[in-house]
Amino acid sequence: MFTTRRGLLIGAAALSAAGCTRPPATITTADTDLTAALRAARDLSEAAETLGYSDIAEDHRTHAATLERLLKPNVVEGGAGLDIGDDAALAEAESEAGDEAHQACLTTEGDYAVVLGEIAASRAAHAAVLA
Amino acid sequence: MSAVDTGLAGEYAAIYAYGTVTVHLDGQARETAEALESEHRERRDTLLDYYDTHGWEAGAAEPGYDIERVADAEAAQTLLLEVEERLTTAWRAGVASTEPAERQICLDMYTASAEALARLRLAAGRPVADPWPGRPED
Repeated sequence: MFTTRRGLLIGAAALSAAGCTRPPATITTADTDLTAALRAARDLSEAAETLGYSDIAEDHRTHAATLERLLKPNVVEGGAGLDIGDDAALAEAESEAGDEAHQACLTTEGDYAVVLGEIAASRAAHAAVLA
Repeated sequence: MSAVDTGLAGEYAAIYAYGTVTVHLDGQARETAEALESEHRERRDTLLDYYDTHGWEAGAAEPGYDIERVADAEAAQTLLLEVEERLTTAWRAGVASTEPAERQICLDMYTASAEALARLRLAAGRPVADPWPGRPED
């Protein structure tokens, strides 16, 4: 049908006029750093709420909501499986999850360095006041 | 002026501010302020090493800084909180750097700054939670 360059151009014009064009395809893959940060945020939120730190839990819920939005249309289920039973364990988990986000911020090649850095700083601040 | 230049200038100003107003604090608030002033000095030294390593010349501290007159503990804490908030915002800006060494030092300083801000808020009896430390308000 469209075996020559001229034929292709005419065909493209005809399809466009008929409303058959599509937006350019994009490949969307879940960013592993954002996914890890999201799963940790869910666990930290739940643990902080259980231990009575509702304000800190709210920080983590805010992080999770932002990360879920950045990862769309991918949907990430579940948490990171962190075992947090008391204040000391929460402080340690905040510190470790902060270090993980810190490292991710340094290595990300995308546009997510600042948000990962913010999450790292927020978690480090939680750890500092819980210690 | 790079993000690191701006941050170093902020560290100089913070050291001056702590040295000027900590005298109005006592108890736990004073202990926290003294500890944080010491940490700002350590960060300044780390930054000066960073300039040396790269063969760059670091900016010098000003002889003095124009800070508000402080007469009591409440005013001292308010001023120090403002200094820490501005510094956290300055370091956060550098995290967007595409130059790896600059991003790393800015992130290290930003994290330390967010920790300092939270500890100072705790000492001042103010809410410490903050999901986006140093992010400018819309």
